[in-house]
Amino acid sequence: MNEAVRNPEEPIIEIENLSISFFTRKGEIPAVMDFSCTVMPGEAMGIVGESGCGKSTVSLGIMRDLSNIGKIVGGRIKFRGRDMGDMSEEELRAIRGNKIAMIYQEPMASLNPAMKIGQQLMEVPLIHDKVSNDEAYKRARDMIASVKLPDPERIMRSYPHQLSGGQQQRIVIAMALLSKPALLLLDEPTTALDVTVEAGIVQLVKGLGKEFGTSMIFVSHNLGLILETCDRITVMYSGEAVETGKIKDVFDRMRHPYTQGLFRSIPLPGADKNERPLVAIPGQLPLPQDRPKGCNFGPRCHHFVEGVCNAAEIPMIPVDGHEGHFSRCVRFNEIDWAAMPPGAKKSSEPVKPGAPVLKVTDMRKYYNVGGGGMFGGGAGRTVKANETISFMARESETVAIVGESGCGKSTLAKVLLGLETASAGSVTLGNDEIQSTGIENRSVGTVSAIQMVFQNPFDTLNPSHSVGSQIIRTLEKFKVGKNTAERRQRMLELLDLVKLPRAFAERKPRQLSGGQKQRIGVARAFSGAAKVVVADEPVSALDVSVQAAVTELLMDIQRKNKTTMLFISHDLSVVRYIADRVVVMYLGHIVEQGTTDQIFAPPYHPYTEALLSAIPIADTSVVKKHIVLEGDIPSAMNPPSGCPFQTRCRYKSLVPDNLCETQLPPLKDLGNGHASLCWLADDVLAEMEPVISFDRDHAAHEGEPEDVVPHRERSVPGGDPGFAAPPPKRPRGKRAAPAAGRLGDAAEEAESRGRTRRQETRDESGGQKAGAPRRTENSTVAPFKQAEAGSGRQAVDPDAPSAFEPTEKENGKPRRK
Amino acid sequence: MNLEFVGATQIVLGILARFWPVWLSLAIVLGASYFYRKKLGLYGQLFSTGVGIAGLAICFFWLFTAIFASRIATFDPLAQVAVLKNAMPGAIAPETSGGGVYLLGGDNLARDVFSRMVFGSQIVLIIAPAATLFALMVGITLGLPAGYYGGRIDALLSFLANLVLAFPVILLFYLLVTPAIVEMGIPRWMAGVFFLFPIVFFLTLFWTRFKNRPDRIWLYMGLTIVIGGWIYASLVFNADPFRILSLTPNQLNIFAAVVFASSPGVFRIVRGLTMDIKTRDYVAAAQTRGESPWYIMLWEILPNARGPLIVDACLRIGYTTILLGTLGYFGLGLAPESPDWGTAIKDASRLLRSFIHPALPPTIALMSFVLGLNLLADSLREQSMKD
Repeated sequence: MNEAVRNPEEPIIEIENLSISFFTRKGEIPAVMDFSCTVMPGEAMGIVGESGCGKSTVSLGIMRDLSNIGKIVGGRIKFRGRDMGDMSEEELRAIRGNKIAMIYQEPMASLNPAMKIGQQLMEVPLIHDKVSNDEAYKRARDMIASVKLPDPERIMRSYPHQLSGGQQQRIVIAMALLSKPALLLLDEPTTALDVTVEAGIVQLVKGLGKEFGTSMIFVSHNLGLILETCDRITVMYSGEAVETGKIKDVFDRMRHPYTQGLFRSIPLPGADKNERPLVAIPGQLPLPQDRPKGCNFGPRCHHFVEGVCNAAEIPMIPVDGHEGHFSRCVRFNEIDWAAMPPGAKKSSEPVKPGAPVLKVTDMRKYYNVGGGGMFGGGAGRTVKANETISFMARESETVAIVGESGCGKSTLAKVLLGLETASAGSVTLGNDEIQSTGIENRSVGTVSAIQMVFQNPFDTLNPSHSVGSQIIRTLEKFKVGKNTAERRQRMLELLDLVKLPRAFAERKPRQLSGGQKQRIGVARAFSGAAKVVVADEPVSALDVSVQAAVTELLMDIQRKNKTTMLFISHDLSVVRYIADRVVVMYLGHIVEQGTTDQIFAPPYHPYTEALLSAIPIADTSVVKKHIVLEGDIPSAMNPPSGCPFQTRCRYKSLVPDNLCETQLPPLKDLGNGHASLCWLADDVLAEMEPVISFDRDHAAHEGEPEDVVPHRERSVPGGDPGFAAPPPKRPRGKRAAPAAGRLGDAAEEAESRGRTRRQETRDESGGQKAGAPRRTENSTVAPFKQAEAGSGRQAVDPDAPSAFEPTEKENGKPRRK
Repeated sequence: MNLEFVGATQIVLGILARFWPVWLSLAIVLGASYFYRKKLGLYGQLFSTGVGIAGLAICFFWLFTAIFASRIATFDPLAQVAVLKNAMPGAIAPETSGGGVYLLGGDNLARDVFSRMVFGSQIVLIIAPAATLFALMVGITLGLPAGYYGGRIDALLSFLANLVLAFPVILLFYLLVTPAIVEMGIPRWMAGVFFLFPIVFFLTLFWTRFKNRPDRIWLYMGLTIVIGGWIYASLVFNADPFRILSLTPNQLNIFAAVVFASSPGVFRIVRGLTMDIKTRDYVAAAQTRGESPWYIMLWEILPNARGPLIVDACLRIGYTTILLGTLGYFGLGLAPESPDWGTAIKDASRLLRSFIHPALPPTIALMSFVLGLNLLADSLREQSMKD
């Protein structure tokens, strides 16, 4: 049926030296330059890069759906051998949505809110295949079933707003698949969704190639997602593809400094905040109009050589020994890929947590909704946003609060900060009970003692006031300094603290990049003598390379000031990296809490287990158990009876007497402060297997040429927190890990089950001889060497203004004093 | 009665020549703005599109016409030259009455249509922006708490706003000028309340920001009270000790009526914007450092609502101009001999079948000014979205 399968030899889409420019009032802005890629039938190509690198423009260019200011200025896009540039508007229309379908980030925006799902789906076969109404209905219903949505008949009758985000995105995918496209373009399809929902969508997308023979181009900023879904990857930077190749080749033996920088700045298993901190990429993405000559990454690259890298434009250069692996780096054969960047700081001492600073005991927060208003009759309902929250945070400690949207973590933050008052229970900060003191009644000391770093960098600063005046105002409120001059001095010192130039004081927030804004947010939070800082997903909206820099900065200041940090996040890989203790929340309840090691190792709470399995990890040697939760998070307006997680729990059948559905489970003490809200018996918990484990064989000679003797090393006790086994050593590339370890039995079992897909890819490339057998003899020693040099962050400030700092003069009004 | 006329070319050239101060000022202002447009922020960006330039040019044209009215006009707007009753454009006034040309003819009372149109711009350009400004103050001061607090305050204020909006505007105006009601002092009371808002607004504005800064707070508060009090006394009680500002009872009526009718619109816009902006993180950041609600409303939320408010103000000046015209047309507003455009259109409309020329200039003036404001608002909206 699908044309794609007919001729497996012919590429579905061939992009040759594509260049796209936008023509604005500032002149021509090249968005994509010299981009080439080929996608074969059934193949999935991942395009990864940070914001502004042109990855979405490529996908829009394929659809020829550039807005009126965008134009393809060079190169060709061939769809099944035909140049799309030669096609008429009518032919293009016949291809769009039919042969090439696109899935966007925001599912609600892709569905017509005024039409029922059924109608919208039926439109596709009605228009493209001119089938009868009944046939269209049948196809739509079958497609809903095949994207694994329950009760297709009911969904056909629903309007988009009646479905959850995850269900909507499945409908969008179903709609795209209904026309049996040869090529599916996915532009960040899961970014707007929660992790556990994302895991379900990823599993669905992964099967598409096999089931429907559809080729895919998967645009994402998340390397882990690309690893899970794609066969090949193209890394883009500043409008160019900088590296492309098979997933395995690029992930294990990257040959472009930018790709390596990306891997070093994400918290992969093996990173540790004390011993092996993240390494951020210095500088920031150049603006399109002032890209440097030669290598675009040159100014941020520590392998940069004057006269070589900036001599001429660099073509894609094939990498020896890997089929289809190209890099846009002239020096990749000369670079020591295992070396850490110069000036890296030594690892720091783990911090000793001190006395308890913040204590939350049995705190509850209920909201009354509905009713009220002048004409609002009727009694309101109660939303239980927080139920029996109890935890404690000590001085210098980082406590992570983990959960998906609607779990009550933001409400918790509001109560702590005094924006809301608790309905019951107590919150003790130092020696003061603050649970029922609203912010307006708190003393200056209390207000400045508990501060917050906000999530969205574009929202955290008031766009109307200059950066300096916003910090000065905070100082004024906290009664720091006697007069304006002193506060001004203190403000400049705070800018130094967050490693921003003092000139930024006069700038308006819009002249700052996301990372810089977030730094100002950090400076503001620490401007009084903050004892507790609540960081609400402080880096989740930032680009990967900037994330690392801001995370490190936050931890540096925390370490210096002995501040307690409550780190709110849904991203368990960051949490594992940064936190000392973890609190997992679900629907207003704390379902599990304990030290990071306890949380990341079995026994798990069933929800924690699912969360762990849902994080995409950009590491080919990691083997995960795949647990996909059924359904969506229930609404807090209408929580399920009994255990909050019972509607999605896969262990429910193991609990006798239907206890899960009828009674709230007790908080089970698992020893050493590890507690879990679950009915499961001890023997079931004891049998749980680790979710994430390492395929050490693979990791040990990751990216190595085949003639290297595999090495087996002694096991070192106390590896990475929480994993079944310590992280493997990686001779090259991503991260130098000092310890290698032996896998536990349980891990091995889990691994053998979960490994299948990647095993295949590994076997394919097994026979090839990787070129340049450098460092073959000493490869067994190498890891230890790297360990010495391999920790610490860069001395160069990663997010500090580079040559590409926007230099536009402030043209606003004079600063208010 | 034989009248002498000048030709069409001479009329056109004559009018263009009379406007020379306007052309000169336009050239200087637009030229300078265009030259420095890169440094002028949003205002400078208006010069990047034809629509923006056109809007600005038209608005500036009427602004300068109002400023230089006495220099441009050929006759006193109230002077009558009996022979030129309903004279066609280009009629030459007899030597006995001082000479000169009725460039756009004479109206039913033998006054110069051109001069009346020019002087009419003064009235429109003073009352419309000023009334809009007061409406803006009232709308902002009530809209901010409604949007910020929500709940009962919002329900009450929104209900009142809806009540005003639901009341037929023309009927309202009829009521406000009814002698019985004027005698009761209702318009004066209303004006007294409305004109209090700007003073309250600025006092709160400075108090919330500078209450811990004794070096500034008293200066600002003092200035506000002195200047505000002076304007308040002159406008509401017509008791300006310096005899600079004054407002006739008729003008006060119009002022009160226009502010009353247009502030609910501003209120709703500000309320909506506030509801949106209060969810931003920087508002939460201000709350978590212990700022008072009014500080947050006036210093954190209001500056970020300015874009839509400026656009709305532009459009609203246009509505107010039309409203003034409507009022004039119904004879509700200003004195019957007033040269404002609305009254002029009303006067001319009676004889529309016989003489169309007295009706055209004020109509075109009104239309072009509102068009200019709308173009300006359009362009402002577009440019502010691009940022």
